[in-house]
Amino acid sequence: MWSYLGKRLAQLVVIAFVISILVFLLVHLLPGDPTVTILGPSDTHQARQELLKQLGLDKPLYEQYFIWLWNILQGNLGQSFLTHETVASAVGHAAPIDIELIIGSQLVAVLVAVPLALLAALRPNRAFDRSATTTTFGLLSFPSYVAGVLMVDAFAVGIHLFPASGFTPITQSLTQNLRGVTMPIIALTLGSVAIYFRLLRADLIATLQEDFVTMARAKGLSTRYILTRHALRPSSFALLAGAGISIGSLLTGTFVIEYYFNMAGMAATLVDAIQQRDYLVVQGLALIISVAYVIINMVVDFLLTLLDPRIRRA
Amino acid sequence: MSPKADGQLRFPDVADLNGPILEVENLTTHFQSDRGLVRAVDGVSFTLDRGRTLGVVGESGSGKTVLSRSVMGLLQGNRVVKGGTVRYAGHEISALSPAELRQVWAVQIAMVFQDPMTALNPVVRIGRQVTEGLRIRLGLDRKAATETAVALLESVGIPSPAARLRNYPHELSGGMRQRVMIAIALACGPKLLLADEPTTGLDVTVQAQILDLLGEQQQERSMAMILVTHDLGVVANRTDEIAVMYAGKIVEKAPTTELFAHTRMPYTEALLRSIPRLTDPSHMRLRAIPGRPPDLVNPPAGCRFAPRCPYVQEQCRQAEPPLRNAGPGHQFACWFPVGSSEGEQALAYNLHHKVPAALAFTGTRADNALAAVPPEPTPTGDGEVAS
Amino acid sequence: MPDGHHDPPGDPRILGAPAAFSPAVDAEVGQVARHLHTSEPATPTGSTSKRGGLGVVFWIAAGWVGLTVLLALLAPFLPLQSPTFQDYSVVNLGPSTHHLLGTDDLGRDMLSRIIWGSRDSLVISIVSVVVGMLIGGSAAMVAGYWGRKVDAVLNAASFVVLAFPPLLFILAVEAFWKPPLKSIELWKLVVMFTVVAAPQLFRVMRASTLAVSNREFVVAARSMGASTWRILTREILPNVLPAALSFALIGIALAVIIEGALAFLGLSVALPTPTLGNLINEAAQIYNLKANPTAALWPSLYIFFLVVGLNLMGDRLRSTFDVREGNL
Repeated sequence: MWSYLGKRLAQLVVIAFVISILVFLLVHLLPGDPTVTILGPSDTHQARQELLKQLGLDKPLYEQYFIWLWNILQGNLGQSFLTHETVASAVGHAAPIDIELIIGSQLVAVLVAVPLALLAALRPNRAFDRSATTTTFGLLSFPSYVAGVLMVDAFAVGIHLFPASGFTPITQSLTQNLRGVTMPIIALTLGSVAIYFRLLRADLIATLQEDFVTMARAKGLSTRYILTRHALRPSSFALLAGAGISIGSLLTGTFVIEYYFNMAGMAATLVDAIQQRDYLVVQGLALIISVAYVIINMVVDFLLTLLDPRIRRA
Repeated sequence: MSPKADGQLRFPDVADLNGPILEVENLTTHFQSDRGLVRAVDGVSFTLDRGRTLGVVGESGSGKTVLSRSVMGLLQGNRVVKGGTVRYAGHEISALSPAELRQVWAVQIAMVFQDPMTALNPVVRIGRQVTEGLRIRLGLDRKAATETAVALLESVGIPSPAARLRNYPHELSGGMRQRVMIAIALACGPKLLLADEPTTGLDVTVQAQILDLLGEQQQERSMAMILVTHDLGVVANRTDEIAVMYAGKIVEKAPTTELFAHTRMPYTEALLRSIPRLTDPSHMRLRAIPGRPPDLVNPPAGCRFAPRCPYVQEQCRQAEPPLRNAGPGHQFACWFPVGSSEGEQALAYNLHHKVPAALAFTGTRADNALAAVPPEPTPTGDGEVAS
Repeated sequence: MPDGHHDPPGDPRILGAPAAFSPAVDAEVGQVARHLHTSEPATPTGSTSKRGGLGVVFWIAAGWVGLTVLLALLAPFLPLQSPTFQDYSVVNLGPSTHHLLGTDDLGRDMLSRIIWGSRDSLVISIVSVVVGMLIGGSAAMVAGYWGRKVDAVLNAASFVVLAFPPLLFILAVEAFWKPPLKSIELWKLVVMFTVVAAPQLFRVMRASTLAVSNREFVVAARSMGASTWRILTREILPNVLPAALSFALIGIALAVIIEGALAFLGLSVALPTPTLGNLINEAAQIYNLKANPTAALWPSLYIFFLVVGLNLMGDRLRSTFDVREGNL
């Protein structure tokens, strides 16, 4: 167990290192001159050179990289050369939005998908299963931004049930916060419901054929007990893996929805920074998002070992 | 889903029971498949008295596993076509609803499954798998259930049982897993135990231990037991009666000693000969039965064993032999039974005409059988066969 | 596929494509593979599917997708108003015989804008997936067939690339790299989508190739001294082709969604050129929604049915050729 965790942690460090190089190169090898952004296109060549020197951009690329890396290792993610806000503080403002949207949507998705899958798998290919399977197939083809637009069309413009945009921090007003995140969360939930339902249904159907389910029936246990206490856990491995991928991709995937609902989450902040050539903020945020992505995958791997006691032996 | 209070079934104390604990009459279980109807169990009848043991023997694919699950009523779903009746302690359990059947399972009839690796839930600790029946079916509280579970595991010969409750199935050896399964089956004190190939996949020494354990437990609890196996050797000393199944039907049934002493059905004979003996030369080839069990969607007309039978005659391919009596409790289905003059004649005739099944069947007997040109045999009549 | 639409690509239980293992799953393949392959294929139409042919559903979907592509190709020759022609006398109209899907806030014909708008979406999606499949697929065949070092290197490379969120890559490139000519902008998007698609397609195709190259007929051909080229083209290629086609169709569907997302953000082909995504974006602005609530509906439905059609085709194709058998 501990050696397993240690191995995973070592992997994480290596991957994070590789990602940091990629992020750095991505930002520095692409055309575009930060000095133009800061000074405007009309300033003199000399002023630019001075600024480059001031920003440390005149040094060789590898040196710039190691300076950046060294700062990160000391806990300094850098700061915007436009607003002088530190990356850490930007993350502090943006991350709560992403965290609420991701946790909210995934929680709702699981709460909806699991009972649906249980019911569907109990009688495969019957009316309920058919309609749920077909509906979720449709949901898979239903982009979140389309869902968002249609909901705003119906509930914000039509009947003023929810606000069409904006995010109120949960610390300010819980009800305002919930009203604001309801539609974004539903938009993000739909696709996840479809994925979770389909993963769990397929595995449940397979599990219900297993001998140990027949054995549980032969103990005279109720169908509900067998489904929830015997079949669900061994059917959830793919579901968990799917959740990892889903959450990972939502780290940036929420952006489209945040953009439409006018919420300044991580990805929205990142895109702003990209458009302003605020390269240190871009590097910092991109690194955080990528590393979070890898960490989520590793957490899922670890949870898989908890879910399936047979893995622990290895 | 939970049984209604007024829907509670009452079962007589087994000690007060008059008549057999289990009566199976003309039981059929067919499955709808893409290829057609699979006749897995096709008209099986037998009775079992309390405290007695019935061995059900047959190759894989003979329908013996389906039989044991049908008796219990475990096979449900819209692809299962059921027929016939199963009466347990006077109740026609084949007519019960799934919810009512749940009252029967574990407490009245329990099953030991074939493969403990797949029949124990791999992600649930042994403790819950043993105690959940006790708690839910018998209403024991956590403490009492755990104590009972420890006692159960101890009684089936599991060392340091309290510690084992924390284990997952994969952490135990095959033999231990099978003991756990037996403990689970015994947990709610069933009056009838169905053991479906309980020793397949275990070492020979462990096999004997498990079978002995089943025997002891049966004695102690005066349970009735049905022991399903492909190995006649397994049931030889451990059953009161044996039913031999082939292609979904019982082809011979007799008290154990009678069956071994006066085998009638050529299939039973072939099974008997396939058991390796200690007296055999050490490198002798095993005499497996050539051929395969028939397709249960389109079983052959006439006797289903005919295509593989060393005694087979034209008659066997035309008409299905009925079950006939051959002494007290001994029934068989064959036109040219083993040990009868018709049977001897049929075998000799087949050997002379070099019927492959007959040649494969006999090693030494071929020489004397070939000595004279045998006349064409005629089948025995419907009456009893002199032994 | 990238993150605009969050789903684990190609999981058999989701869209019927053979399992493409994510890093998370891949690590425990031994334990999880069992669960991936015992599952019954989750087809949207359930047991109504017939063995043998591709079934009615496939052909309806194919007909719809074909029609969409055809309309996009023939847009210049169709009797359509120019998609950018503005007529302020017919602003925000509902459907009528003149304007089958009505008009937008500048009086432009919605039907024309949708058909013209699908052109760029389809070019980007189809070209990037086809090229990505050619690159990723052939790399996968080489890796899957040769195994050992080539495989190890390519496999590790694909993992590193996949650990990097694709949307991040697209956004960064999009913002920093402004091509000098507007006509190049479309091809820039094609290149970006190809870069994102290739490693994903590599992973799913590698699994298929691995499965095929260990089958008896390949081993037999190899032992009979057939050349590598011959084995790859005659034995392996025909056997992974249905899987490849199925992945490609589902990949195109995802690319359409992601292109839509980019356009929705204003990061795809620049206005006033219509694309499906920026049509939705324009119509979805609050002032437009208030004035013309149905204008957002048409491009949304158009994307939805196009994607459903592609997904259905991919799914039916997979379940017919049943690529499931032992991906690993």
